[in-house]
Amino acid sequence: MSAASVSLAGIVKRHGAVTALAGIDLEVAPGEFFSLLGPSGSGKTTTLRILAGLERADGGTVRMNGKDITSLDPGERDVAMVFQSYALYPHMTVRENIAFPLRMIGVSKEKISQSVKEAAARVRIEHLLERKPGQLSGGQQQRCALARAIVRKPALFLLDEPLSNLDAKLRVETRVELKRLQRALNVTAVYVTHDQEEALSLSDRLAVFMEGRIVQVGTPEEVFSRPATVEVAGFLGNPPMNLLPARLENGRATVEGVAIQVDALKALGSRDVTLGIRPSAVRLAAAGVPATVTMCEALGEDFFADLTVGDRLVRAKLNGQGRPAEGMRVHIELQTENVHVFDSTTGRRL
Amino acid sequence: MIRRATLLVLSLLIVLVWVFPVAWGLLTSFKTERDVLAYPPQVVFEPTLVNYQDVFVGGASIVPNLVSSLVVSGFTTALTMLFAIPAAYALARLDLPWKRAGGFWVLATQMLPPVGLVIPYFLLLRQVGWTDTYQGLVLVYLTFALPFAIWLLVSYFEEIPREMEEAALLDRAGRLRTLWHVILPQAKGGIAVTIIFVFLNSWNEFLFAVVLGGNTVRPVTVAMFNFISLEQTQWGRLAAAAMVGMAPVIILGLLAQKHIVKGLTVGAVKGGGRR
Amino acid sequence: MPAFARRGERRFALALFLPAFLLLVATTTLPLVYLVWSSTQRMDLSMPWMSGFAGLENYAQLGGDARFWSSLWLTFVYTGATVVLQVAIGLGLALLVLQIRFAQGVLRIGAILPIVLAPVVAGLFWRSLVLAPDFGIMDFITRALGLGSYNWLGDPQLALVSVIAIHTWQWTPFAFLVLLASLAALPPDLYEAARLDRAGPWQRFRHITLPMIRPAIVIVVILRMVTALSAFAAIFAATGGGPGSATEILNLYAYRLSFTELNIGYGSAVATVLLFLTLSVAFLLFALRRAR
Repeated sequence: MSAASVSLAGIVKRHGAVTALAGIDLEVAPGEFFSLLGPSGSGKTTTLRILAGLERADGGTVRMNGKDITSLDPGERDVAMVFQSYALYPHMTVRENIAFPLRMIGVSKEKISQSVKEAAARVRIEHLLERKPGQLSGGQQQRCALARAIVRKPALFLLDEPLSNLDAKLRVETRVELKRLQRALNVTAVYVTHDQEEALSLSDRLAVFMEGRIVQVGTPEEVFSRPATVEVAGFLGNPPMNLLPARLENGRATVEGVAIQVDALKALGSRDVTLGIRPSAVRLAAAGVPATVTMCEALGEDFFADLTVGDRLVRAKLNGQGRPAEGMRVHIELQTENVHVFDSTTGRRL
Repeated sequence: MIRRATLLVLSLLIVLVWVFPVAWGLLTSFKTERDVLAYPPQVVFEPTLVNYQDVFVGGASIVPNLVSSLVVSGFTTALTMLFAIPAAYALARLDLPWKRAGGFWVLATQMLPPVGLVIPYFLLLRQVGWTDTYQGLVLVYLTFALPFAIWLLVSYFEEIPREMEEAALLDRAGRLRTLWHVILPQAKGGIAVTIIFVFLNSWNEFLFAVVLGGNTVRPVTVAMFNFISLEQTQWGRLAAAAMVGMAPVIILGLLAQKHIVKGLTVGAVKGGGRR
Repeated sequence: MPAFARRGERRFALALFLPAFLLLVATTTLPLVYLVWSSTQRMDLSMPWMSGFAGLENYAQLGGDARFWSSLWLTFVYTGATVVLQVAIGLGLALLVLQIRFAQGVLRIGAILPIVLAPVVAGLFWRSLVLAPDFGIMDFITRALGLGSYNWLGDPQLALVSVIAIHTWQWTPFAFLVLLASLAALPPDLYEAARLDRAGPWQRFRHITLPMIRPAIVIVVILRMVTALSAFAAIFAATGGGPGSATEILNLYAYRLSFTELNIGYGSAVATVLLFLTLSVAFLLFALRRAR
């Protein structure tokens, strides 16, 4: 089976009085590696489970290759899933675990044996086939779960935080491998994670979830460099973007009581806004928003500095600008290329 | 150090109190009638196997009673598991209508006073001629075995992670094959413990057996009274019969030792109907 | 709510649950309906010609039946005393044993023994080996201690004490094991924190242990109540309800009425009273489970 396209339209899910998903629209192209990124409780896992058929939507439609699969059982969809807990069958060996999906659809013994070997080889666990899941390390269990998911060559591959139970080093290694695997199999993958680094490094495109809604869809570069809302801006980046409320009036920005001239913002007219500056985009200059350095930590080549602007904290990642002394008074330069402007009532990017 | 020693002595004393009647019964079973009645009670005596000989091959043989107990308990256990496993799975995991009410009802059934049941059964079984039959007694034993087994199994099924079923469904196993290939193998331990408990409870039952049994079906708990009459009690034989009759449950109890707390608090610690 | 509700799941669930459900209705609920019906009948097997519908006559008779009231009172005393004793002794032992790691294994095995024993055998053992006059071990102990000889099961007061003791002996291990398990599961850093807060041993017990194991105690109390309310075999074996009706709790009274005196209609009425008593305890248990 070749890679499938997926589309969700107006998906609503309620748990009693709580609305878990408030109208999700999503298009995933064939062969795409697509991430659902968001804080916990934002609805990304629920969306994945609705895609899998493990949960039923209260409204909206799910389509695969244009075909309506909203009311199909999980087994009737051509999908495979890797669970956060891996969900390996503890009473079966690795071989039996991988063989299970094929056994259930009545594939012949020889064919199963062949496919199991192939799948195991792809994730390099051929030597572990006779073990039980309990005898495997976390990373090996994860590979076994992957093998079980790919053995049937599904059209859609669902991954629910598959790396979250691995230690940091292994996580980065497996991440690369996962992407390679998806490319090699030419399968559509939908990947749920709360780890932005994972989402940004793996995805062809990603959707950012906030409180049961998708707030932005785009390539990692788009989402990172042009966050659509204040929430996305405050969620992405490590540390995330600094957000400062400001008043714009004909190119004059009033930040924490200090008015400075920024010609670049003239086009936006007069309004209340939130200014966003990535820590790495903070420039210290002779003129700009006045700030005080309260703390400075060295991180190899870079410095992380805590600056106070009025009562607000601004984190800055300074590189090659020399280490500022604590207590020093500085100015933060505001330029169009490093400042994101959001409407303060709607939160939208301007 | 003194504190430690005191605690040790104290705990040994407790064990002694718990074990004493059984241990003393074991000792008594090897005594002649004369030694049993000796005063002060004797710890050192010349052991004899005559009591065991009597209860096995003598005129007062309890072998037929052991067979009765085995047949009744065996069939009760088999039937109970046959019905309880699917029901417990439905209660623990599936979207069962009226789940909470069903759960309460099963729980309440488990607590019914046996005297309240033995009276109507006495009347009903007499009418259909099932008193003193195996089928009659097994039917009555289901009244306590089935609800107990359902509740115990529910707590075991609930321990299996839900992702197991979800993974199996995605693997196209379907509901029945998911139960058979994925859930039951993982609940094996719980099922074994439940079998042990149901068998143990059936074996130890007395009230139903004494009222609804008879000369044909006479479980070993009732047969104990063979050795007690108005004129005299045959203490030695009684002790030997009790030892033989209780050996199976003592062995089973020690086997299931680790799980016994769970089995005893069944339905109370956790259970279905709450989700 | 089920995590995955799909087509046909309800039908599948019902197919699994209904056989057991119907079997239980047939084997428990219907006989109980029959019990309530027979409690409204004049049904005396020694005088079958008198049989017929009696309405609430049997229940009216209960009001003036001193033996019933004494039996109801004995049920309360028996249930109350055994439950309190089991919980108090069980908790005391559990607290004690918690401090000695090395003997716990032996204690657990020792505790299993009374629990797995058939109550009828427990009753017989106590009746013969422990409490029998002249050669029972209890007589030997009291005499050796110079306290004299007692007829433990022949004296009405002592007989009640004895059957309570037998029940307590058999089921305290249950309370002990459950409470020990829940005590062992308490986080030790809580006690370390309390020590640093200068709480004494009694204060630690009163303000930490007790509130933390309260749910377990509630469970034990309710389950022990249910067992005490259905107690039969041990008393039957030890005293048969006697001497006279000194140990005749409702179970014994209903049994004797129905199967010794063959007055089944009246026996059914007594059993019905017991049934409602037990059901209210069951309801209490369920309400508590729900509250958690």
